[in-house]
Amino acid sequence: MVNEHIAESHEEAAMDRVGFGFWVYLMTDLLMFAVLFAVFAVLRDATHGGPSGQELFKLPFVLTETLILLTSSFTAGIGMLAAHRGIKSQVLTWFGLTFCLGLAFLGMELYEFAEFIHEGHTWQSNASLSSFFTLVGTHGLHITSGLLWMGTALVFIWKRGLNAPLVRKLTLLSLFWHFLDIVWIFIFTVVYLMAFV
Amino acid sequence: MSKELQNPKITPESQHVSLTPYVVGFVLSLVFTFIPYQLVVNEILTGNMLLAAIIGCAMIQLVIQVVFFLHLGREKKPRFNLVFLLGTIGIILVVVLGSIWIMNHLHHNMSATDVTDKVASDEAVRQIDGARVGTCAGVGTNHKIELKNDSVTPLRVEAKQCDTITFSNKGDATREIRFGTQADPETYAGESGETIRARRNKIFTLTELGTHAFYDPINNTVSGYFTVKR
Amino acid sequence: MKEFLLGKLDLDALPHDIFMIAGTVSFILLGLTVIVVLTWTKRWTWLWKEWLTSVDPKKIGIMYFLVAAFMLVRGGIDAIMIWLQQALSSGSSHGYLSADHFQQIFTAHGNIMVFFVAMGFIFGLINYIVPLQIRARDLASPLLNTLGFWLYVAGVIMVNMFFVLGSEYAATGWLAIAPLSGTEFSPGVGVDYWIWSLQISGIGTTLGGINFIMTILKMRAPGMTLWKMPMFTWGSLFSMIMVVTVFPLLTATLFLLFLDRYFGMHFFTTDLGGNAMMYTNLIWMWGHPEVYILVLPAFGIFSEVVATFSRKKIASYSSQVIAMGGVSLFALSVWLHHFFTMGAGADVNSFFGVMTMIIAIPTSVLVFGWIATMYKGRIKFATPMLWFLGFIGIFTLGGMSGVMLAIPPADFQLHNSLFLVAHFHSTVIGGVLFGIFCGISYWFPKIAGFRLNERIGKNAFWCWIVGFCMSFIPMYVLGIMGATRRLDHYDASTGWQPLYIMMFIGGLIIACGVALQVVQIIASVIQKRRLRDTTGDPWNGRTLEWATASPPPFYNFATIEPVTTQDALSEIKKQGTTVEPKYEDIHMPRNTGAGIYIAAFAFVASFALVWHINWLAIVGIAGIIVCAIARTFNDDVEYKIPAATIKEMEEQRKKDTPASAPVDSKENEDMSLWDFIKIVLKWALDVVRKRRLKTW
Repeated sequence: MVNEHIAESHEEAAMDRVGFGFWVYLMTDLLMFAVLFAVFAVLRDATHGGPSGQELFKLPFVLTETLILLTSSFTAGIGMLAAHRGIKSQVLTWFGLTFCLGLAFLGMELYEFAEFIHEGHTWQSNASLSSFFTLVGTHGLHITSGLLWMGTALVFIWKRGLNAPLVRKLTLLSLFWHFLDIVWIFIFTVVYLMAFV
Repeated sequence: MSKELQNPKITPESQHVSLTPYVVGFVLSLVFTFIPYQLVVNEILTGNMLLAAIIGCAMIQLVIQVVFFLHLGREKKPRFNLVFLLGTIGIILVVVLGSIWIMNHLHHNMSATDVTDKVASDEAVRQIDGARVGTCAGVGTNHKIELKNDSVTPLRVEAKQCDTITFSNKGDATREIRFGTQADPETYAGESGETIRARRNKIFTLTELGTHAFYDPINNTVSGYFTVKR
Repeated sequence: MKEFLLGKLDLDALPHDIFMIAGTVSFILLGLTVIVVLTWTKRWTWLWKEWLTSVDPKKIGIMYFLVAAFMLVRGGIDAIMIWLQQALSSGSSHGYLSADHFQQIFTAHGNIMVFFVAMGFIFGLINYIVPLQIRARDLASPLLNTLGFWLYVAGVIMVNMFFVLGSEYAATGWLAIAPLSGTEFSPGVGVDYWIWSLQISGIGTTLGGINFIMTILKMRAPGMTLWKMPMFTWGSLFSMIMVVTVFPLLTATLFLLFLDRYFGMHFFTTDLGGNAMMYTNLIWMWGHPEVYILVLPAFGIFSEVVATFSRKKIASYSSQVIAMGGVSLFALSVWLHHFFTMGAGADVNSFFGVMTMIIAIPTSVLVFGWIATMYKGRIKFATPMLWFLGFIGIFTLGGMSGVMLAIPPADFQLHNSLFLVAHFHSTVIGGVLFGIFCGISYWFPKIAGFRLNERIGKNAFWCWIVGFCMSFIPMYVLGIMGATRRLDHYDASTGWQPLYIMMFIGGLIIACGVALQVVQIIASVIQKRRLRDTTGDPWNGRTLEWATASPPPFYNFATIEPVTTQDALSEIKKQGTTVEPKYEDIHMPRNTGAGIYIAAFAFVASFALVWHINWLAIVGIAGIIVCAIARTFNDDVEYKIPAATIKEMEEQRKKDTPASAPVDSKENEDMSLWDFIKIVLKWALDVVRKRRLKTW
């Protein structure tokens, strides 16, 4: 199927709309997280005699996770610079790095969950743990979706090369990725750091 | 098939972002990640100060990432993205803070009896022999007990149920008033006592019947009692 | 093995009581009829290509109307069942419904009316009319539009699915408050059906909200600044901003309840730290703004209709817009008034009580604005105007009872009484439903190409008003007398039965009103030729949707001319421009099945989650992901119509319409109800005599 030639201003207007629409979607996602944060705030102490966050969390571990995710946000930004300049190899390198860092973050998070479950602290144990697993787990699910999206996009770029529509899609993906790091800032602060206050 | 790449630069030069904001944003984010971490781990601050500090750092990092990674200030007018973000932050505050405020009050009012007893006294719920029988209708007579120069005037008050007693601290020092005696403290209507600052008053509604004593735990000469009848 | 394959599904899930069997049989008959008709007329491909995969907001709008109308009948039948049960069930009689069944009925009634009737009609109207009002050709994302619609349909199927499999719906009230909705107290599948029908259609609504915001903010005609937009577009914009603000809260809350039920978590349970009061808090954070989401487009419709039928510009455009904004803003800060009695205490209650009362202020600004518009106008009492006047009376009654309820001490007496029920029905029926009826009768000529029969329309209106008053004014009285809501039986000594019977009769009169509305449409179709709208502007409108043909061509407007003022069409008429239009190439989006496929997988996944069929849930979710990715591979989503073709189509259209504008068909020459009955009887007699159908 051959695409008709579309006037550039038409494309620009379309991208502007799509970019704005995606931004509004990100706002709705933020609000969904807001509920999860509110629930966490209300239920964090409802441990029913079980261990508190202070007893469970290992801050150095979480700091490492945080730095990994932050770095991946940075590398995604560099990848976007390359994308706007049309340099395919750099795009693959930097987003590939982002992908690996994201995967490492996810791995660390799953390891933390597995440890808790192994020790008998599951989401069924009490309300506090339910809200912990849900808040952090939902963020993890978003990271997973982002990685899936990133992987697909990278395969595409590798096979078909860079073009304007793909760069537009990468822009949305990088928005999503940055936004996930922003949500993590608050998880790091409210869930992990605040447990020790 | 999609449009192939004609020109190495896909995005026009005018819309290019340089490397600088990303590096600056990254470094600043690192700083504002380490600061709260160190504050918590090394216990440099504690309590509400620490809470304020780490939340403050989180907010600052939010702004850093939004400005440097998401380039929020750079869009042309009308700045819909910015407006929607600010609106969302506002709603998030309403959702989170509103929930905390409401649930806190609900917890306070709807919890086990020791907590709710205090609330009942706040709201002047009448008690006879420990059983709650409704609220005091209207306000009764007010009896004033003055605490001055380590003396109590009057020593003894006779009151009716639903009257009020005002403890008036006429001295220069803060006083503490506890119910019962030094040897045998008790609670009255859910309250164990109250701290009264200099030249301030505290009002208690007499919702429970019986004779009850009060004392200042620091200074033995300050004590007295009141009797509440129906 | 069976449990792995089928989860909780087994033969018990099939219908085995009379109501479930009746429901299942009805759906099967309905489905069979549709299949038979389509096959006989060989229209499957047509249906698929022209309607089901269409991304044209006009077609999607009509599909929303059809589904919402069907659900209106379904929800209305629920209402009649409730009225009848309560009229009968006094003293020794216990009516004809078991308590559990009664609870499922009022739960379904609430969900259907709010989510599937009101939202459906509103989305239909916004889809059809807003692009026309801002001189756009489509919404910003045709894909999201069709996806949103099919997710809504998936929700509709889900909320009716229990007849066929499961035989139970939620018996918890329309918002399924915890812990009643938790596994401990509602172990069956009813609440799960509830969760997923709302979750899927809620996500569809959120996507629609994003789409409409994108469209209104980014696709207006050149020159149409925000302050020149028509009032319906403003109402829709505010409503959609509220949608994207609060529907995510619903999504999250439903998700948490699902986690409690499916994974044994403890958010809202009675043990291990759960806090059921948090559920009430969260669900009403969504629930209150939801009713304003429904009513703001209705306010927009009324502004349009009042201005048009008073033949006058809306009095003070600015204050109307600011008032709508004020209503939206305050709506987000009042939710606790739904649970004053839960125990948050005087401080919290008084804050929310005051905030609730404050909403009355911008609302009154709107109402007085409309009245001011009517003042010194030359009013035409067409059916849309009658619906507006009905709204003024009934909505004001509802609003005043709302302010009464906003006072916490008063609410402690009236909470969950019939007074509350009367209040919200007055506001929702008087505001939202009458707004929808007003909008449909106003824009029907634009959508169908011919106007509606005025005489039968007025009869229908009067049935609604009389029926409503007869049904709901006694309800206010009963509420103050102490009758609680949702009673399936009450003591004869209360003396309430006569009032309940009166309410039931009122309900029957409303049903007559609905029947007359159906008759109105049929009668209009019969007299289609006479009622045809040839100019595209039968009411002498003030806004741009009237500047194109009725119904509009698929590209809406041949040319997108800039706009310079509010009430853009009135301005154009004043200037009397007859410039030769400059045709350009038009880009239109292609139809796509992506919406249906993704919604189908979403339905499969939800169904699987209801019945705990884990492998099927994974298949469903994987399907959604695969379809979404496949869709992003597809770059060929638009096609171009060259300017020359547009020119041809426009000139052909001008040839087809009669040269001179016809005389405005007089209302008193419209068919009356008695004429209609005579026609139907005559037709029936002919059929009986000659045993064949006559075509009109």
